[in-house]
Amino acid sequence: MRERELSELSEMKARLEEANSVLEIRINAKTKALRELAANLEKEMKERTEELRRKVAESENSRVALMNMLEDMEDLRRRAEEEREKTMAIIANFSDGLMFFDARDRLALVNPRVEDYFCIDKAESKNMIGSRISDIVRFAPMSLLGEIFTGPLEHVSRRELSLNEKTIFEVSVLEVAGRAGKIGTLLIIHDISREKMVEKMKTEFVSIAAHQLRTPISAIKWTLRMILDGDLGPINDEQREFLDKTYKSNERMINLINDLLNVTRIEEGRQVYDPVVADIEEIVRSLVANYEDMARQKNLNLSFEKIAAVVPAVRIDLEKIKLVVSNLVENALKYTPAGGRISVALGEEDGNAMVEVVDTGIGIPAEQQDRIFTKYFRSANAIKAETEGTGLGLFIAKNIVEAHGGKIRFVSEPGRATKFSFVLPPAESD
Amino acid sequence: MTAAEFASLGAVSYNLIKDMEKILLIEDEELIIRLLSKKLAAIGYDVSLAMDGREGLEKIKQIVPDLILLDIVMPRMGGFEVMAEMKKDEKIANIPVIIISNSGQPLELEKAKELGAADWLVKTEFDPKEVAEKIQKYINKN
Repeated sequence: MRERELSELSEMKARLEEANSVLEIRINAKTKALRELAANLEKEMKERTEELRRKVAESENSRVALMNMLEDMEDLRRRAEEEREKTMAIIANFSDGLMFFDARDRLALVNPRVEDYFCIDKAESKNMIGSRISDIVRFAPMSLLGEIFTGPLEHVSRRELSLNEKTIFEVSVLEVAGRAGKIGTLLIIHDISREKMVEKMKTEFVSIAAHQLRTPISAIKWTLRMILDGDLGPINDEQREFLDKTYKSNERMINLINDLLNVTRIEEGRQVYDPVVADIEEIVRSLVANYEDMARQKNLNLSFEKIAAVVPAVRIDLEKIKLVVSNLVENALKYTPAGGRISVALGEEDGNAMVEVVDTGIGIPAEQQDRIFTKYFRSANAIKAETEGTGLGLFIAKNIVEAHGGKIRFVSEPGRATKFSFVLPPAESD
Repeated sequence: MTAAEFASLGAVSYNLIKDMEKILLIEDEELIIRLLSKKLAAIGYDVSLAMDGREGLEKIKQIVPDLILLDIVMPRMGGFEVMAEMKKDEKIANIPVIIISNSGQPLELEKAKELGAADWLVKTEFDPKEVAEKIQKYINKN
């Protein structure tokens, strides 16, 4: 029994030991698995953490970038603001009055100079913002601009406006274009009172000087004339010749002074016309006849021809239109070499009376043609051909013709021929 | 101006013949006075002189000339003033006046016309002979 028991016990022990070792193996296996799991977890953790850290870093970078961007924007905005302030300061302190109208022709900006010029206060100038020019000119202090702007805003180049006798403005209107086209219209008001005053003084000086010159010159003329006419006793041929030349020089001086006076009168706006309905044919014909002697002396063929069956009657200031024709014919006589031809013609053009003077003279150099009507201008070849001349004749002629509502023009082939012509509108039948 | 002074200026006669037409020259420039009075006297006018507007006005009233030659810019009284004064006295209001001036500005011409001037001569554009011709035209009219 003992033995059996002992054997059973030992078998049990063996089994237990076996079971124990199996368990142990299993535990070991489990433990290993657990350990592996733990290791994996830890690795994953690390990876995740790393990723998170990276992301955090990344977002930090973006934040900094964003901050930088914002700072840049702020900087730009500040600079734009500064620029705008600078521009506004320039506009505000600009010596000219500025009114800016937007693309829809509504007032967007007025500078303080405009307020000074038209004696309006800040509130009143603010009130005008958003208005069209047609509304602005209805505001009494601004009504002066109504002399220029009777309708919508349009291009204006240096129009003069007198606020009073002492204050004269010059108004210009320019379209302002950006890269995308018209962005608005700028009205510029420039004070030219000072220039006008200087100009007036200059004109007055010339006028007074010319009048003062006339007094002694007329005395010289009268004396010479009476001596030449024998009123003061007989003279010999040599004396007569000298006195005759002196008389002619004096006449030239009289013409010069008259030219100066004509110019100053034009500039003073005093060219008052005394228009009468006249037969221009008679005027031109007799003027041309007056120059026949001079033409013969210079060996020039001077002719007059009426080239239209009917020439409309014109309403003109006789003396002034005579001056125009004389200036044109005298120029032709001066600048046509001996043997040449001068043809004066009277015709009709689009219902207007037309006078033309064609010569075979030295012509006007192409590059100087656009200045030919400018005051005091003489072309280079004209100065060479004839040293004497004021450069006023054509300036005066143009002003007179235009004051009559007419037009003057020319074509010239340098070295060969020149044609000056002017038209005068027909007299209105009353 | 006295007759002696007048003679010294070179004029020929002084109111000797009754029916000579009387012309009064009102002008302040001596050379013009001498030349014109010589010319007119030679033609046969009875020429009187005044060297400024005030003297001229007195002479007009005193002589009552057939025609007046009148300068505009003169000392003491200008030509326009003389004409305005003439209008106030009907005895002399209608004497023809020819203005002789160194100027001939449109505004002045207008004013002269308003004041009733018969004509306007710019001295640089006329000579004594032509002045005499103008005088004949207006004297014959009367």
